[in-house]
Amino acid sequence: MPDRPPFPGRPAQPPGPTYLQYSPDGQRLIVAGVGNFARSFRTGDNGEPDLLPETHEETYAVASGNDYVILGCEDGTVCEYAVPSGDLRQILVRFTLPIRDIALSPDEKWIAVSSDELPIKLINRDDIEEIFVLSEHPKPIKHLTYDPSGRYLAASCTNGVIYIYSTTTPHPSLFRTIDGVINRLETAETTTSRCVWHPDGRAFACATPTRDIQVISVEDGAHQRVFSGAHNGDITSLAWSPNGALLASSSADDQLVIWETKAQTILKRFNYEKIINLAWQSTGENIFNWTTSQGELFIIPEFLKDEAHVRLLKGPKVRAPFFHDPLDANGRKPLVNGQAKRAGTPDSLDDLVGPEDEYDWIEDDDGAGYINENGKRTNGHLGQVNGHAMKRNKQELWQPHIHEPFQPGATPWRGNRKYLCLNLIGFVWTVDQDTHNTVTVEFYDREMYRDFHFTDPFLYDKACLNENGTLFSCPAKDSQPAMIFYRPHETWTTRSDSRISLPDGEEATCIALSSRYIVAVTNKHYVRVWTLFGTPVRLWRMKSSPSVTCAAWGDFVMTVGNGPVGADGCTQLMYSIDDVRRDENCQNEDVLALGTLPPESSTEEEVSLKALFWSDVGDPCVYDSNGVLLTLLHWRTPGQAKWVPLLDTRLLDRLKNGKKEETYWPVAVAAEKFHCIILKGGDKSPYFPRPLLTEFDFQIPVSRPVEKEGDDDEEETSAEAVVRLEESFVRSSTLLGLVDDLVQGLGDRAGHAQKTEVVKREIEVDKILLQLLAVECREGEERGMKALEIVGLLRDRSGKMLEAAAKVAGRWNRTVLEDKIRDYAERRLMGMDEDS
Amino acid sequence: MALPLPPGLTPSEVGFLCEMELVTVIPRQRLEGLELLGGPTQSLNPPFPAPLPLWLALLLKRQKRANISPPPWLSVEGLSSILQFETDNRTAEVFSPAPALPQPTGFGSRHDAYLSQDSLEFSPPFLADSSTTRSQSNALPYHWLELGHLLLTHASDDFDDPDTVRRLLRDLREVRMSKLRKGFKVLDAGAGVKMNGVGGMEVAEVRGFVGGIVDGLRKINRSREESRKEREAEERENGLGSSSYQDDEDDMQL
Repeated sequence: MPDRPPFPGRPAQPPGPTYLQYSPDGQRLIVAGVGNFARSFRTGDNGEPDLLPETHEETYAVASGNDYVILGCEDGTVCEYAVPSGDLRQILVRFTLPIRDIALSPDEKWIAVSSDELPIKLINRDDIEEIFVLSEHPKPIKHLTYDPSGRYLAASCTNGVIYIYSTTTPHPSLFRTIDGVINRLETAETTTSRCVWHPDGRAFACATPTRDIQVISVEDGAHQRVFSGAHNGDITSLAWSPNGALLASSSADDQLVIWETKAQTILKRFNYEKIINLAWQSTGENIFNWTTSQGELFIIPEFLKDEAHVRLLKGPKVRAPFFHDPLDANGRKPLVNGQAKRAGTPDSLDDLVGPEDEYDWIEDDDGAGYINENGKRTNGHLGQVNGHAMKRNKQELWQPHIHEPFQPGATPWRGNRKYLCLNLIGFVWTVDQDTHNTVTVEFYDREMYRDFHFTDPFLYDKACLNENGTLFSCPAKDSQPAMIFYRPHETWTTRSDSRISLPDGEEATCIALSSRYIVAVTNKHYVRVWTLFGTPVRLWRMKSSPSVTCAAWGDFVMTVGNGPVGADGCTQLMYSIDDVRRDENCQNEDVLALGTLPPESSTEEEVSLKALFWSDVGDPCVYDSNGVLLTLLHWRTPGQAKWVPLLDTRLLDRLKNGKKEETYWPVAVAAEKFHCIILKGGDKSPYFPRPLLTEFDFQIPVSRPVEKEGDDDEEETSAEAVVRLEESFVRSSTLLGLVDDLVQGLGDRAGHAQKTEVVKREIEVDKILLQLLAVECREGEERGMKALEIVGLLRDRSGKMLEAAAKVAGRWNRTVLEDKIRDYAERRLMGMDEDS
Repeated sequence: MALPLPPGLTPSEVGFLCEMELVTVIPRQRLEGLELLGGPTQSLNPPFPAPLPLWLALLLKRQKRANISPPPWLSVEGLSSILQFETDNRTAEVFSPAPALPQPTGFGSRHDAYLSQDSLEFSPPFLADSSTTRSQSNALPYHWLELGHLLLTHASDDFDDPDTVRRLLRDLREVRMSKLRKGFKVLDAGAGVKMNGVGGMEVAEVRGFVGGIVDGLRKINRSREESRKEREAEERENGLGSSSYQDDEDDMQL
């Protein structure tokens, strides 16, 4: 038997679906429904409501401003009425089929309307002739909601997919689709599939077919936390409290449930009849309202009785329940919630509750910390400089921009899962199960390695994977020290469970695994090196700190740290390469040049290092946020190293027509190709299911490619050939340099194959030069000077190449050139060459 | 004894020919290079993609030893741009063009490249890389229908959105078949239909019908042809005398 609400219902409409909405200032509650009238209840006034006498019949959707209300009706009209007079101001739009939902943008300029017709229409309230039509979805839309910042429009489609349109672009475009969350519901059903935005604008909640409430973050589309286990009937309505601390939900089995956002627990449960729509008073008063299918409206002042609950309702803003809040991991990231958008509204939420700094205050609020409550790690391990201290001091004190530490190959948390490591051997990913994680390691080569999966009570947050084994590291937790765990893929003993413990207060900021050593860079800026099975070998302090990242290959360890501050206010990255076995220093605190920000882009704050890895033949490579892949040439000789760009992904042919918007997530450099994952749609990191790897050939940005004229692609023009050959000459020379370095570095240990490789590559380079010479000869007599210069570039150990060059000149009847080449060959043979 | 099959290739035969096409495979385990009749294959080394003949790729796929990465034209973007080309009013009369031909190999000079001995020019269906990941994204290769069908049947889990791809492929097929059928209207003994860019399966599909019609037309015209020859022979024998009678007979035949 359902309970009686503490206050009797007010008859607002004839029986039938009844809708309610508060005006943004919280002063009025508009109720509309089956009847050809609407009522406007004044907050805090128990008297007779204002009547809007002349509306169309059967209102299906309500959107309320402070002095007007917009109603969408069964007859397909969307009208704007003045409140409280009830005068018709304008008819905004007319459909042929019933209106199903309308949504008013937070700046109250745009009104989005969906009906039983397919398209959504976005109408400018001030100029109703300005209309955008959105029709990326295949079926009619049941619910429409704007996020609190007005950047996204969430449309719950009757095919069970949520379509999120981005409204920041000049023409609204489809931003993301989310499948498999909401149920397939027809537009007329009372059950809801509405996306109800959390007030911080980063996530929304929606009812699932299993009668749970799923929170989904909009930026990455990841499933966040779930409010589950309270409803046995279909959910009819959801509402967040204005500060986001509470969530109310009602279901068809006459349940009304109040949830706490932080812990997703049930605070209170009521048994009230036939609730179909819920609303909190929109400025945080302790008033709760709902309408029933009987057309009754219930306004319950002093709804929450418990002191603690009232404190939650009136307390500071609470963030949307994320598994791993990006705001925890990185204190510098600005909030998604646009403060400026609502600045115009007097006494708006943001003004009342205060700007974003309030969020910091929550974190420190009650000492115990909300963060640890959810089993998340604090950001204490990052050290003072990277944490919030910096942000607080920003106004008072100039602070250099410091490069954040990162683990190469790892992605940030997205929902409850993340990749710990992604490379060409395989991938390691972990799923947060609240009390523990589950780690899965999968390999590309399933015959050679066996995939494995384990329950991880230590909450490993970093991993490395190579041919021999997997390395994990976890931060300190409670009384247990930070640990590093190496697991070989194959073992001839029983598997031991030995872990390396770090000294108290020390945690790994980055780990690396080579075929012989384990390397960890710690938060105390030590570089610690162990053998694979945990015998400590070396320990030194990084010369430049705070540390950024490290990578290892064979005996070599490369570490990167923040160095002195450059002219742009950012620290310069400094790298060192050490040979652990011989305890020699290959490169000592050299600059890792990152280049500058392209002038047209304003999205990134500064150029940053995206990845650091060793190629399959053992040369360090970096990938920066500009999309340039660089390799280090001559790094074995101290002071000689230089960064050479191998590929600029922004200049790739596939991006040339400007249609594709994609970025690349670096994975590895192997077999003289760049392996990456293509990220589309503004994604920052790869997600599940694991995307395929793509490979790109190196292409050194030597010169601007020649524009093709017309469709005449029959034959390559000489200009094109020159560009192609020049690029291939520089590229081959660079790669030859890498191999040559390797052979010289190995000295006597260099194998025969490696030595012949060098010779082979030299011949290749000479062949490219010969082709270039042929093109120059073909072009004409007047290119003779350049042709002779090209001949001078030939390495030519045997003298055959010069002979061939002369023949090429002879074939094109460049006799003068031919003579000069023969002359030059003779001089070179005699050792009379000017530069020798 | 007459062969019970219609002339030309049956769809399964076309599909069989299509299985010689190279597709890009992402191996899930190592495999040394194989010496096949069609040439040696590259050794497989996960996760590096390698080109393999379709039949071998499907075999490995079935044994879960490899994933096939679909060629760029067999994607939602590629197919929809081709479909747009096919349905656009301005290009409604023609088929979407076949992939661009590669540069002729060899060192023949600019003008007689076609004639020189060592130059080799490829044309469909012998284009390399027409179905690997290096293929053009905006052109349908010769074996597009068969390849798309085989990949969607056996390796649909390797597609991003197999249902949309399947739908687009079907749309394309219908659009192109209707174009081909439109071409039949003008079929005549001497007339021709421009079929540039038509795929192998489409050719096989219309071959029976078009061949039948053209053959039928040829047969109809044969009697006229023969009678004309007879008449000419007779004229040569009899002189011009009986020509009026012959004309009457011709009219009656028609």
